[in-house]
Amino acid sequence: MLAYQLVYFVLLMHITRLSLTNFRNYGRLELDLPVGPSLIHGNNAQGKTNLLEAVYYLATTKSPHADQDQQLINWVAMQAEEPVIVGRLVAQISTSQGVKTIEMRLIYERSQSLRNGRGSFRREALVDKRKVRLMDLLGHLRVVMFLPEDVQLITGSPRQRRRYLDITLCQIDPLYCRTLSNYNKVLEQRNALLRQIAEGQSSRAMLPIYTEKLVKLGSRVLVRRARFVDELAREVHRIHYEALTEGRETVRLHYLPGLWHNKPGNNDTDTNGKGWAAWWQTHSQDEAAVAERFDEAVETSFAADLARGATSVGPHRDDWQFLLNGRSLSSYGSRGQQRTAILALKMAEINWMTGQTGEVPILLLDEVVAELDAQRRALLLDYVKDANQAFLTATDPAMFSLDFLRNASSFLVENGRVQLDTGQIGFS
Amino acid sequence: MAQAVLPQPVQRLINELSRLPGVGPKSAARLTFYLLRTADEQALDLAQALQDLIERTQFCSTCFNITEEDPCLICQDAGRDQSILCVVEEPLDVLAIERSRAFNGRYHVLHGAISPVEGVGPEDLRVAELVERVEQGKFRELILATNPTLEGESTSLYIQRRLAREGLRITRLARGLPVGGDLEYTDEITLSRAMEGRQEL
Ligand SMILES: Nc1ncnc2c1ncn2[C@@H]1O[C@H](COP(=O)(O)OP(=O)(O)OP(=O)(O)O)[C@@H](O)[C@H]1O
Ligand SMILES: [Mg+2]
Ligand SMILES: [Zn+2]
Repeated sequence: MLAYQLVYFVLLMHITRLSLTNFRNYGRLELDLPVGPSLIHGNNAQGKTNLLEAVYYLATTKSPHADQDQQLINWVAMQAEEPVIVGRLVAQISTSQGVKTIEMRLIYERSQSLRNGRGSFRREALVDKRKVRLMDLLGHLRVVMFLPEDVQLITGSPRQRRRYLDITLCQIDPLYCRTLSNYNKVLEQRNALLRQIAEGQSSRAMLPIYTEKLVKLGSRVLVRRARFVDELAREVHRIHYEALTEGRETVRLHYLPGLWHNKPGNNDTDTNGKGWAAWWQTHSQDEAAVAERFDEAVETSFAADLARGATSVGPHRDDWQFLLNGRSLSSYGSRGQQRTAILALKMAEINWMTGQTGEVPILLLDEVVAELDAQRRALLLDYVKDANQAFLTATDPAMFSLDFLRNASSFLVENGRVQLDTGQIGFS
Repeated sequence: MAQAVLPQPVQRLINELSRLPGVGPKSAARLTFYLLRTADEQALDLAQALQDLIERTQFCSTCFNITEEDPCLICQDAGRDQSILCVVEEPLDVLAIERSRAFNGRYHVLHGAISPVEGVGPEDLRVAELVERVEQGKFRELILATNPTLEGESTSLYIQRRLAREGLRITRLARGLPVGGDLEYTDEITLSRAMEGRQEL
């Protein structure tokens, strides 16, 4: 890396040091991290993915893999007879506003009173050693992660797709994150109340209060997500069309609000979201109009909701989809077409975040480079070169060009230990 | 072989202390051994204080704050404004507002906030008593000073709807910028709330 680039890069957001304790297969790790690209290499099952996961977790407070965060604690440590077991992730980060330490603690407490030996799990977040709310950890580090299983975003469940939107938006929009978290709380309260009303344990007096809050917060969530999908869609389309398919194919993204489909007389005739798309075009600046729709939909589904003991419309049931040349990519696309669209999505995500914050996010690329042909690999590596900091994993460093390796740092991962390579790899 | 066990009274206190919120078994043991080593007097003072806490306090039958005598001192005080009522969730909130010296009316303590998830409805709080107090018609203004949480706000809304009537002004505390804070360093949430609650100059 050129000296002037280095000076420029160290002023921008990056991690200078990562410390892990009892996280996955890392019992203890203290690692100084350089700016620019770092290659993380090693055999299978040594801890490469876990290292990226740690960075991702600190940036988003979410794991891309684990179903339960408790699974992130090192299982050897969990075997110990200790009453409290703590997993810790600490990153020292340098930003244009100075140096900060962000920390996440995963705490498992064996309770004395419970005979079955099960305990309680909780998390604590700290910024500069002071406890903060979990959501206050967001925004200090911003990352974009590439995983081999990303293609499941297209073929998988709506829940996975909502999760993607929420995690990405939360990284740069704390107000959205707060709104979403309040929405989820209101939803939980409303559902509990619906069940109590159905069982005759509670009057309906409180219901309008939760319904109004649900509609107010829910339409904000919906509008923010739908606008985000629009913003992302333009970038995805451009990258996909210009850079990845040389003008052969067009990809579009559509947000699909469940409340639109639940409209009476609209039963499932609008699964491609065309009616909604047309309506949204003229109403995307009009949160009140969305709220009105939402309100109607909640009203319509009230009897059903009462019977189910759950709220059936709202952004917690929404979805979004990819259309390739006008057709559903998940139903009709080939595997290769799906992968291309995901690559476009991820590149668009980088551009979007850069546009929103003025800084390129930290890139985490797990094994993805191996799957790409030479042209796309070169394209992706251009993004890597532009990032302040990037981590790429590979079992075999030989797949990278010598030119790339010359400009990258490289680390060998072996059974939960990480070591900086001193010699140039690929030059032995 | 005889095994070392704690004398039963020691174990019992450890058990009792560790049932308190925020006290784990370790700190319960530490406190217990501390008490064992201190002068007998100090430990007995503590025991007496606990006993008094239960035997000499009650809820005020008017405002439901904790008090030694019923009605409580605030409810008895004729020098306080009789026409304005401040509704709070907990007795500690009364203390906080009293410390501010910004309020000189009466209080009503709900003892919680509505939360269906936790099975708490209006009937589990002192809401009926509040309605009864207000219906006697002596209050001009009701200040809803519940916590700025979802539960607190829903509780306030519920009360507001039940009590809205001619001649009764219902207000709630403003949520705003911390005094001495710097606008530039205020988080977006606080700032957006302060913007929503802006006032005419
Ligand atoms: N909670 C945990 N405690 C201890 N070890 C764990 C825990 N969770 C996962 N592991 C182990 O961590 C090891 C390394 O996993 P990781 O996915 O990082 O490997 P990798 O280097 O990326 O391998 P690959 O090249 O196969 O992708 C695995 O063997 C896995 O069993
Ligand atoms: Mg891996
Ligand atoms: Zn009183």
